[in-house]
Amino acid sequence: MVNTYQNIRHVLIFMFLIATFWGCKKLVEVDAPITSTNGENVYENDATAIAVLNGVYIKMSSFGPTYGNYMNGFMSFYAELSADNLTLYDGVSNPSYSAYYMNNLQSSSSPNIWLNTYPVIFVLNSAIEGLSNSKYLTPAVRQQLLGEAIFLRAFNYFYLINLYGDVPLVLTSDYKNNAIIAKSSKQDVYKQIVSDLDAAKKLLTSSYVGGDAKTITSEKTRPNSWAAAALLARVYLYTGDWINAEKQADSIIMNAGIFSLVDLDEAFFRNNSEAIWQLQPVNVGWNTQNAILYVIPSTGLNNDHPVYLSNNLLNSFELGDNRLTHWVNVYTDTTVVPSKNYFYSFKYKSASLDAPVTEYETLLRLGEQYLIRAEAKAQQEKISGATGAIADLDAIRTRAKLLGYNGLTDKASVLSAILHERQVELFTEMGHRWLDLKRSGYINSVMGSACAEKGGSWNNNWQWYPLAQSELKLNNKLVQNEGY
Amino acid sequence: MPVEEVLMLCFKNQALSYEIENNTVIISRKTTAEGLSPRLVLDVAAPPITGVIRDADGKPLSGVNVVIKGTKIGVVTNADGTFSIDAKPGDKLVISNIGYIAQEITISNQNLGLISLTVNTSLLDEVQYIAYGTTTQRLNVGNVTIVSGKDIQKQPVGNPLLALEGRVPGLFITQTTGLPGSGLSALIQGQNSIGKGNDPFYVIDGVPYISQLLPNVGKMLGNSGKNLSQSGNPLSFINPSDIESVTILKDANATAIYGSRAANGAILITTKKGKSGRTKTDINLQQGWGKLTRNLRLLNTQEYLIMRHEAKRNAGLSGASPSDYDINGLWDTARYTDWQKVLLGGTAQYTNLNATVSGGNTNTQFMIGATYQRETTVFPGQFADKKGAVHFSINNVSSNQKFRIQLTGNYMIDNNLLPTNDLTSSAMTLAPNAPPLYNADGSLNWMPNSSGTSTWTNPLSYLYNHYTNITTNLVTNALVSYQIFPGLTLRSNFGYTNLQSNEIATYPLLSSSPENRPNTDRHGDYGSNNINSWLVEPQLNYTQPVWKGKLETIVGTTIQKNNSKGQQLYGVGYNSDQVISDIRSASTIGVSSSTDATYKYNALFGRFNYNLLDKYIFEINARRDGSSRFGVENQFHNFGSVGMAWIFSQETFMVEKVPFISFGKLKASYGTTGSDQIGDYQYLNLYSPVTAGVPYDGNQGLAPNGIPNPYLQWEETKKMNLGVDLGIFKDRILLNVNYSLNRSSNQLLNFSFPSTVGSNVSAQNFPATVQNSSFEGYIHGDLVKRKNFTWSTSINLTVPKNKLAAFPNLSTSNYANTLIVGKSISIFRVYHFLGVDEATGLYQVADAEGKSTMTPRFPDDATVVINSLPSFYGGFENNFQLKKFQLNFLFQFVKRIGPNYWLGTFTPGRARYNQPSYVSDRWQNTGDKVSHQKFDPNFSFFGPWSNASGSDVAYSDASFIRLKNISLSWQLPDNVTKKAHFQFIQFYFQGQNLLTISQYKGLDPETLSSLSLPPLRMYTMGLKLGL
Repeated sequence: MVNTYQNIRHVLIFMFLIATFWGCKKLVEVDAPITSTNGENVYENDATAIAVLNGVYIKMSSFGPTYGNYMNGFMSFYAELSADNLTLYDGVSNPSYSAYYMNNLQSSSSPNIWLNTYPVIFVLNSAIEGLSNSKYLTPAVRQQLLGEAIFLRAFNYFYLINLYGDVPLVLTSDYKNNAIIAKSSKQDVYKQIVSDLDAAKKLLTSSYVGGDAKTITSEKTRPNSWAAAALLARVYLYTGDWINAEKQADSIIMNAGIFSLVDLDEAFFRNNSEAIWQLQPVNVGWNTQNAILYVIPSTGLNNDHPVYLSNNLLNSFELGDNRLTHWVNVYTDTTVVPSKNYFYSFKYKSASLDAPVTEYETLLRLGEQYLIRAEAKAQQEKISGATGAIADLDAIRTRAKLLGYNGLTDKASVLSAILHERQVELFTEMGHRWLDLKRSGYINSVMGSACAEKGGSWNNNWQWYPLAQSELKLNNKLVQNEGY
Repeated sequence: MPVEEVLMLCFKNQALSYEIENNTVIISRKTTAEGLSPRLVLDVAAPPITGVIRDADGKPLSGVNVVIKGTKIGVVTNADGTFSIDAKPGDKLVISNIGYIAQEITISNQNLGLISLTVNTSLLDEVQYIAYGTTTQRLNVGNVTIVSGKDIQKQPVGNPLLALEGRVPGLFITQTTGLPGSGLSALIQGQNSIGKGNDPFYVIDGVPYISQLLPNVGKMLGNSGKNLSQSGNPLSFINPSDIESVTILKDANATAIYGSRAANGAILITTKKGKSGRTKTDINLQQGWGKLTRNLRLLNTQEYLIMRHEAKRNAGLSGASPSDYDINGLWDTARYTDWQKVLLGGTAQYTNLNATVSGGNTNTQFMIGATYQRETTVFPGQFADKKGAVHFSINNVSSNQKFRIQLTGNYMIDNNLLPTNDLTSSAMTLAPNAPPLYNADGSLNWMPNSSGTSTWTNPLSYLYNHYTNITTNLVTNALVSYQIFPGLTLRSNFGYTNLQSNEIATYPLLSSSPENRPNTDRHGDYGSNNINSWLVEPQLNYTQPVWKGKLETIVGTTIQKNNSKGQQLYGVGYNSDQVISDIRSASTIGVSSSTDATYKYNALFGRFNYNLLDKYIFEINARRDGSSRFGVENQFHNFGSVGMAWIFSQETFMVEKVPFISFGKLKASYGTTGSDQIGDYQYLNLYSPVTAGVPYDGNQGLAPNGIPNPYLQWEETKKMNLGVDLGIFKDRILLNVNYSLNRSSNQLLNFSFPSTVGSNVSAQNFPATVQNSSFEGYIHGDLVKRKNFTWSTSINLTVPKNKLAAFPNLSTSNYANTLIVGKSISIFRVYHFLGVDEATGLYQVADAEGKSTMTPRFPDDATVVINSLPSFYGGFENNFQLKKFQLNFLFQFVKRIGPNYWLGTFTPGRARYNQPSYVSDRWQNTGDKVSHQKFDPNFSFFGPWSNASGSDVAYSDASFIRLKNISLSWQLPDNVTKKAHFQFIQFYFQGQNLLTISQYKGLDPETLSSLSLPPLRMYTMGLKLGL
């Protein structure tokens, strides 16, 4: 029996030893991995806070699968495919191209621009929250970054409502709320965009700053207060606030010291004086996605170079329009008899690998501001004279070596002249044509015939893209757009 | 002086005795009364009967039951094998122990001396490795299946898990592709977690092993389970030839001691150990050939051209467009190529060479093995997976049997060279009149048109893109134990694993079409991953007789740390194709991803097993776990189980009334286990780099990883298991039936959020409950047992059932449209297919009211629920032995529904894609009653086609019966073998996946994919030699 007691004592001692091995919190505590930065510190350090915004620019600018073809040429490419400016080459087998081109999108179609946009809005909302609460950033840097984030949020929402109609207005990073958020009306989203842009305009300085978010630079790769004003002008125009649209556009155009119209061939150069905001290309060896998509190489059209300009667009150019010679180029296919000419957009010209980077993706430019001011004035019946709509229109026409408009006096003719001018000035840029058709109300008539030419038939519901099926599955508060 | 004399002198007047067996001196405590005076002997009224029990090798056996027959008086032997029992001469002692044949001894004198037990060869008494110990089927309380190494080594496979297919009730294994190193998913008793990992817990020789690799480059290998960024399977780096046995632990009793990591069951792999005896050398040489299991009937050129022309006509197009190379005269329309034959019709070579040396004496045993394995692909070109593996094991026990040490190591070098693309999708979709692969001069034919544009992507160009994966894997452990006093042993397991893989995928210019080369950069992806872990697991084992039974206690603690580090780089801009393997030659180098994760784990565990007279067994398992994967609030959690078994065949009434039932056991267990397969750092708010080739404004970016959840808790699975084990007619027929009911709650849901949330949200605990119930049956019969002929057969069957038992507020959660309470969690919600409209020739689906629609809305109109889980699966095995011949074959069967390839790919007729021959039954004229819609190149036909592919017609019966394995061997007669100075010589044939019976409308019913390589049919011949 003595033995048993001894045994039990031994057992207890060893159990105690084992228990001491265990239960120490240190044994299950780990530091944050070196590959990441702890969220609490990101907005307390200039470099990491700047990097968050840089992450957004990189995602917007890069192409290829990594960050999902977002705000670079692709967004504008798909919107242009939907409109009447392009013809899709019939040897293209990419179903996404066909779907956008034939306006025959399904809720399962990809890419769905919505799916790529909201993640960026999340980063921006997180940044706005983080920057608003941060204590240790250099004040100027904090103000600049906050302005950029708010501006970028407005910019993204502008495209969302113009492509999808009513969309959920997500303004926080609170996922519980955002997971079951319903759509807001376009008016409400526009209201938010305007208030964001007003705020951004105040926060941002009028000069361009560089990678450290404070040193003044010639690069126009970060938005400044003029960029906010330029987008604001566009938003006011889209919402029918003609007075404010004119006012904002006016403020930019009148700043001749910073912005001026440049030669057609230079309009998309990096940091040219017409540009208000540009994205710097981030893919090694390449200039812009725009050039790669539109410029047809000597080997002809294929999946990588899938489109050429539609007859409809080509026929819109007036005789002698220099934009037809400087912004449009031709590829001749000699493999067929008779040989066939394909005209393509040549605004961005540098499409070869390892060429020096001379062109930046231009998101906002002065030319558009002239057209905004012209339209805003026309709507207010300010038609002729040195400060009238025609004068603004003629400024754009003169650059294209076209004669000015004479004798146009009635509002309706001027507005239709402006719509025409927008088509030939802004083709293959930032989805302008698709957006213009919608807001002008001409979409059904224009697309009715364009769609027939493409080999389909237009459905009035197709002006809004469908929500992705995955979104509907995951949030039952969302309602699919009509017609899908 | 002779040894005997020395020993005699030494042990004179000592309380120890010695004896000499062979060349070993065995020293033991004096067990006889010879040292006591005769008077003293007489003084003891009834001296206890003593004896020492050993096995056939002379090793003492502890814990042996010694019972006086007809009474309940019994004792168990001590660690040195001795026992002492109050009995009188003439009584009969029943001596029984797990794994040994019971003996009856009539007491003739007071000291019974040495009693030796022989090993029982009954399946019921074979040793089973379980968590932290061993048991037998006879005494096991848990639901456990063992697959022996012999069965694994009958199968020419590169991943030991593949050898378990069809053999284990409750285990469902699916291979993702037929490539060497392929991903595979293993599910034990169904899918417990809706959104997180469902991998079993793998343990190799006591050391936990990873179930997933790190994010890597080799995407064509396919995923293991649901993880999208990781491909391949870590068990590919374990050599099947080195395995002694694999134990699959299923219920709570078997797994609760593994606590948080075993909610999805556990798979224990035990490698081979040396045995004492003469030094033996075994050599195994095997060569085999693999082919595709089945081809799919696609359109031939004639049918294909009819499809293409008819499509043009249907669209009102007069002729072929310039890009319709297949029909505009550029490609030869008289040509026919069976692309499956050309691209996938090759023969894969399989070579396996293995040699082991083992031996030892009673104190020390060793085993050393080496294996070389090479497996090529069915693709054209020189691709091969080459493996070299070394295995060793050394055991030592001190002469006093107190100190034991065992060192085991498994090391493998794997060099896997594959193309970066699986050619299967090319083989399935290339036009049958596509151009020849080669030009007359032997160069690749790109079939350029007159402007020099290539008119097709030559599939062989993919073969220039090479993927090389060099992985070295070390799994090693040391087990040290010391017996402090009889019954109490302190043990500790020390483990170390290190898996290092280096991958290179190269994309030379040669793989691009000639005209695109000026605009294409040569590039390469370079991955380097390392996962290492160490483990210290001290334990106390205490065996003690308590009342009339035996109590075995294990108490231990685990300290474990895993470090995962990985980096994937890319290089762009090389000036020649030859230098891409060296990233230094790149003009631009970037990092595409990096991994750095530490996982720490600490636990306290215990098991209490009380065995009362080998009749009633009670077991409690408990574990308290701490894991770094959880936030500070919830780092620790408790898990445990209770189990009991009643061996009713030991009851007198059974022995007397139902003598044909030789063994009968009822068992039940209930307990909790958990899962922490959620990834590391989920509770931290982290930002990761966003990088671009050219930094923006000179800087790279950062972005939040996701939305953190600091309140992460453990997912908990409650498992209940009821089982019956029966042995009938002297265990000639063995029957195991288990019913299990597992409920996983507190689900760590990896919520799929709508994109408006904008980011991954780390898992949330949700009060949803997933219930898996399964019926598992296994029957084994020794049908014929003659001297020269034996025939045994076994069948296993699993009927699994999975359902979402509860999901509060499902309708407002974002799972509202994907899950349904009461249905399985692996469902697809699809439209109901209404066939082809006779008037328009287009596919129609039904809306919620059942009316035909062209624009169904999800989910309202998705009225059909497809359950993709198998409704039953199992295996049927037969084993024949006729003199020196042995034949074994295994059929695997699965009953289930899966996605098919019946609709073809991307609207038949539209583009230059070949289609399965099903599409030929298509609409041509108004009123046609046909299965497929009309051929049309117009994009608007994509809508009805994609509606149909989201309907119930896209899912159909994918059941199959597969002759998984056949093995035939012949051993040369002994006289021949002896003359040649061999221990044995055996010739054998093995086959894998030889025959598949299936109605599946697609390429392979196992992978359920028609665009990736199916598992191969493999024939091998081999020779085994024993020296």
